[in-house]
Amino acid sequence: MTTPPPMNTPAPLRSATWRSRSANQTRLAFGQALLELGQEDPSTVVISADTQDLLGIRSFAHDFPERFVELGIAEQNAIGVAAGMATTGLHPFVCAYAPFITARSMEQVRNDLAYARQRVVIGAAASGISLGVAGGTHHALEDLALMRSLPNMTVIVPADVTEAYRATLATRDLDGPVYLRLGGRVEEPPVGDLEAPFQVGRSVQLRSGGDVSIIACGALVSLGLQAAALLHGEGIEARVINMHTIKPLDRDAVLRAAGETRGIVTAEEHHLCGGLGGAVAELLALERPTYMRMIGMPDVFAVIGPTTAVREKYGMSAAGIARACRSLPGLR
Amino acid sequence: MDPARKALLESLEGKARQLRRHVWRALRAGGSGHAGGSSSAAELLVALYFHRLRLRPQEPDWPGRDRFVLSKGHANAALVATLVLAGVVEESVLDRFYGFESPFGMHPDMKLPGIEMCTGALGHGLSIGVGMALGSRLQALHFHTFVMVGDGELHEGSNWEAAMSAAHHRLGNLTVLVDYNRICQSGPLAEVMDVAPLAEKWRAFGWQVVEIDGHDLAAVADALDAVPLRPGCPSAIIAHTTKGKGVSFAENTHLWHSNNVDEAVYNRALVELGVP
Repeated sequence: MTTPPPMNTPAPLRSATWRSRSANQTRLAFGQALLELGQEDPSTVVISADTQDLLGIRSFAHDFPERFVELGIAEQNAIGVAAGMATTGLHPFVCAYAPFITARSMEQVRNDLAYARQRVVIGAAASGISLGVAGGTHHALEDLALMRSLPNMTVIVPADVTEAYRATLATRDLDGPVYLRLGGRVEEPPVGDLEAPFQVGRSVQLRSGGDVSIIACGALVSLGLQAAALLHGEGIEARVINMHTIKPLDRDAVLRAAGETRGIVTAEEHHLCGGLGGAVAELLALERPTYMRMIGMPDVFAVIGPTTAVREKYGMSAAGIARACRSLPGLR
Repeated sequence: MDPARKALLESLEGKARQLRRHVWRALRAGGSGHAGGSSSAAELLVALYFHRLRLRPQEPDWPGRDRFVLSKGHANAALVATLVLAGVVEESVLDRFYGFESPFGMHPDMKLPGIEMCTGALGHGLSIGVGMALGSRLQALHFHTFVMVGDGELHEGSNWEAAMSAAHHRLGNLTVLVDYNRICQSGPLAEVMDVAPLAEKWRAFGWQVVEIDGHDLAAVADALDAVPLRPGCPSAIIAHTTKGKGVSFAENTHLWHSNNVDEAVYNRALVELGVP
C-alpha cells in the first residue's frame, strides 16, 4: 500500500465556543464549520458540484479561493477528483446533494474512496425527504444503506446544527472517507447539551429511562424526545439515545439499552432496510436478541409533499414513535 | 539522429521487449489475462517510465514524483511489468499474478508500491488525475500527471465530465494518453460503439491534441517531451496502436482482449517476442 503523505497537524480548534449565528440548518452549519477548518488547516479543500448555496460554502470560496474547486453538476467526477486530491495530501470536502452523490457516484465512492481508503468527507445535503416536495427522484432514503455497506467508511448523521458543526470539525481526526448526512430547509430543534463534546462513534444518551429505549438519528432524535415526553405522561419511561454515528455503531450503548430496558425502537428518516434500524437489528440478532420496532420509511417510494407531512404519513413522528414503543411486549 | 537519442530509443526498444515477455510470463502464471490491451500499451509505458516520468524508484512515495494512473486497469500486467523493470517491485511478483492474497491481481491495486490508485473500473482514472493535477498546483509540488485510458473506456460518460473539468481549470500539468487500439471486449469499436472522431472530441472539450503511432518509440518520446502542448491546457496524446502487438496470433482481435495462456501458448508467444 502506498503510504499517503503525512497529515498536517494544525492548531486546536475554537469550536467549543461556536454558536450558530446564521446557520439554522445542518447543511449550513457544515459550511460554517468548513470556514473554521479552512482557517486552521491549510490542507482543507472544498469541492462544489454546483452546490455553493446548498451547503453555505460561498464564504469559504471567498476566503480561500485557491482551495475552492467548482466542478459543476458532475458527481462522479467530483468524487474521483476528491480522491486524486487526497492522494497528494489534501483533505477534500465534497459538497453535494445526498440522493445524487450516493446513488449516482456509488462506484466512485466504493472504489476511489472506500477501497483506496482516501481521506475525503462527503457533505450530503438534502438527505431523506428533506426535499419532500421535489418528489421521489430527489429523496435520499437509501443513502445510509449504501454508505454503511462499505468497509473503511464512517457514517455520521447529525441531529441539529450544533452537532452538524461539531461533527464536521471532528472529521479532521478521521482516516478514510466519511459520509456526513445533512438536511435541507427544515430547521430541526436543538437536542442535547450545546457544550457537550462530539465524539465519532460515541452515542449520546439524552434521556434516561428503564422501560424502553428509543435509538434515533438525525431529525428523528428530536421527535424521539417528544415521544418520550408523551410516554412519560402514561407512566412509561423511555431512554432516548442520539446515535449520530451509524458506522462504526456504538455497540456498547445498544447492548446496554437492550439489557436494561424491555425493548428498542429505532427511528430514522431512511428506508427500514439497511439504515440505523438495520444496523441495530444486525447487532442485536447476533449478540442479544431483543424485541424491536423500527420507525422509518417502509418499502415504498415516498409521496410528494412537505417534509413534516410526509414524515407523519409514514409514522416518522412523535406519535408514531410512541405508538411503536407501546406496541412492545410488556409495555401496555 | 543524435547519438544520445538513438541510444535512448534502442534502450526503450529493449525495455518494451522485456515488458512484453514479463506480461506473458505473468499471464502464464495466472493462467489467463489481458494480453491485447497490455501489449498495445507497451511502448507508451516504457517511454513514460524510462524517459519522461520523474520518479525515485527507491522512494515510491516521494511527494514530488510525477503521477501515472492506469485508468484502463485491465492492462495491469503491463504496468506491473514496467514497475519490475523500473526496480520499484520485485520481479518475483510476476509469478504471483492472480494468486491467493497476492498484491498483483487483474487490476492495479495500491497494495503494490508504485501503484497510485486502485483502478480498472473504467472511467475513474481521469477524474483522479484531475484531482492529482489540482493537488500538484495547489501545493506547488510541480509534478505532472499522466493518465492512460483505453478507447473503449471512453464509452463511460464520467471521462467527459473529467475532460470538461480539466480544461475549465486549465490543467496544463495533466496529460491523457489514449491507447487507441480500436477493439474492445466484444469486437471492433466501430461495431460495438464508435468513439470516432476522437481527436475532435478532445479538442471540443478544450484539450490540445497530438496523434501518433503508439508503437513508434521516437514519436512517443517526442510527444511526451512536447507536453504540455500549450501552457494552461491539458494535453491529449492519441496513440494509434495494435491490440496484442508483438505476438501474431494475439494481434488485432477481440479474442485476445483476455484469453487463456497455458505453457504451449506462452512458449509460442516467447518465440515471437525474441530474446530480451
